[in-house]
Amino acid sequence: MTNTLHRQGTPDSLAGDYIVFLTPAGGINREGCGEKKRRFLRLALSEGPVNLGADGKNLFTGGEPEQMIAAVTDESSVAATFSDPEAVRRLVGHLKRESLGISVNISGLAEEVDGILRSHGIVRHSIEHSLGVLGRIERLPTRQVLEITTMCGHGLISHNFARKMIDWVKLGKLTPRQAGRYLARPCVCGAFNIDRAADLLTKAVEMA
Amino acid sequence: MQIDEEKCVGCGNCVPVCTMGVISVVDGRSRVNEEECVECNTCYRTLRSEDHNPTLVRAARWVLRQFRLAYDPAPDVCPTGALTPPTLTWPRSLRATFSDPTIKHPSTGTGGRGTEEIKSNDVTGRLKPGEIGFVVELGRPGLGARLRDLQTVAMALAEAGVRFEPKNPVTHLMTDTAVGILREDVLNEKVMSAIIECRAEAERAPGVLATLRRVASEIESVLSAGVAARCGPDGSVPYAEVVRASGFTLSLNAKTNLGLGRPLFEERSEPAQTSAGRA
Repeated sequence: MTNTLHRQGTPDSLAGDYIVFLTPAGGINREGCGEKKRRFLRLALSEGPVNLGADGKNLFTGGEPEQMIAAVTDESSVAATFSDPEAVRRLVGHLKRESLGISVNISGLAEEVDGILRSHGIVRHSIEHSLGVLGRIERLPTRQVLEITTMCGHGLISHNFARKMIDWVKLGKLTPRQAGRYLARPCVCGAFNIDRAADLLTKAVEMA
Repeated sequence: MQIDEEKCVGCGNCVPVCTMGVISVVDGRSRVNEEECVECNTCYRTLRSEDHNPTLVRAARWVLRQFRLAYDPAPDVCPTGALTPPTLTWPRSLRATFSDPTIKHPSTGTGGRGTEEIKSNDVTGRLKPGEIGFVVELGRPGLGARLRDLQTVAMALAEAGVRFEPKNPVTHLMTDTAVGILREDVLNEKVMSAIIECRAEAERAPGVLATLRRVASEIESVLSAGVAARCGPDGSVPYAEVVRASGFTLSLNAKTNLGLGRPLFEERSEPAQTSAGRA
């Protein structure tokens, strides 16, 4: 899940973008963790995520959420994406109470996440920040495009696809939310936030 | 990626979804620039096959053209199912394992980019107090990179005194982890991105960060850099000052390990020092 580390955007935009995921440790607590991952996803689902990732499927490619969850095994990667930090706060409460025993990580505004944890009496254990992009940055597209495409950190949403969806929204061929649903398809981890994508596409059209 | 010329009707839907921008429509058929393709399979996964008969689709397009109407399929379909992931052999197979997150790395058994980072640090104790972890992802965002570029960065970091993470697919390609050199036969392979994962004692961090800035100017692509550590007992960020002093800016967003994994590393290694206060 380095794929959630380098999301670009303004503080206002990132304030509505959180990914919660479970990661077992091989050889220590991975065996038999499938049921815990399924429980995590059901808890997450109860708090209204904008996307879920399970075993290479997301809410826009995986069919019914319960089908996705039922297919999860010890080996599956699982993640839930939220726009509302209060939903994340409630989910953290569930996870603390249930003590699943698998490592939980949250990607999002660091101070907001820290506040959520402290409201539950949790002191963060480890942390990881992005230092940005170095090298041939002149080869990169506009910030407008990168704010959309970096929501899939595996790079599966191409810069050209984002440009095409921006154009189609400008032309009135798609609404921002419809375009967001198309953009969400390639992101197999479910880390793509279509609420935020719709906001970014709306702003892109307003700026045109 | 293979595109079946008999099936392809040249709708062009695969062109924008190609992560590397290396598909184009030539003479009414989509073509892949194989040298630049990273075998991520995104076009195959994203575009639902409608399995239409290619002859009928071409005929429908011809009729539409007579009425000056465009054939405009939804952006997430391949009308005729013309895309097929090829069977790859070494070393080209590396492109897929580093670019398609649904494929597990044979070297580590992990999917995605195969990193450890802080994701289970509460249980594994991989990053210990006083250590700083670095993740340096070549090719991200969205440009891709040759492994030759990766070697350039890895060798510079090795000289700066880092230790490479053993459970990482990039490290498995190294013939000498002391100097960061990769096996010769993989250097020209292009991947969506690949992550050098390493760590060093905190006092080495300024040198590592300066090296990173210098070596980034020597590569053909881009790199996304990250830094990680175990927090202080009060949740403080140990590297905040050294990062600022080195001229970098910490992102506002971050990845946070909550410490909810069990057994905690301390519980496994030194039961007497269980950190019951956490979480």
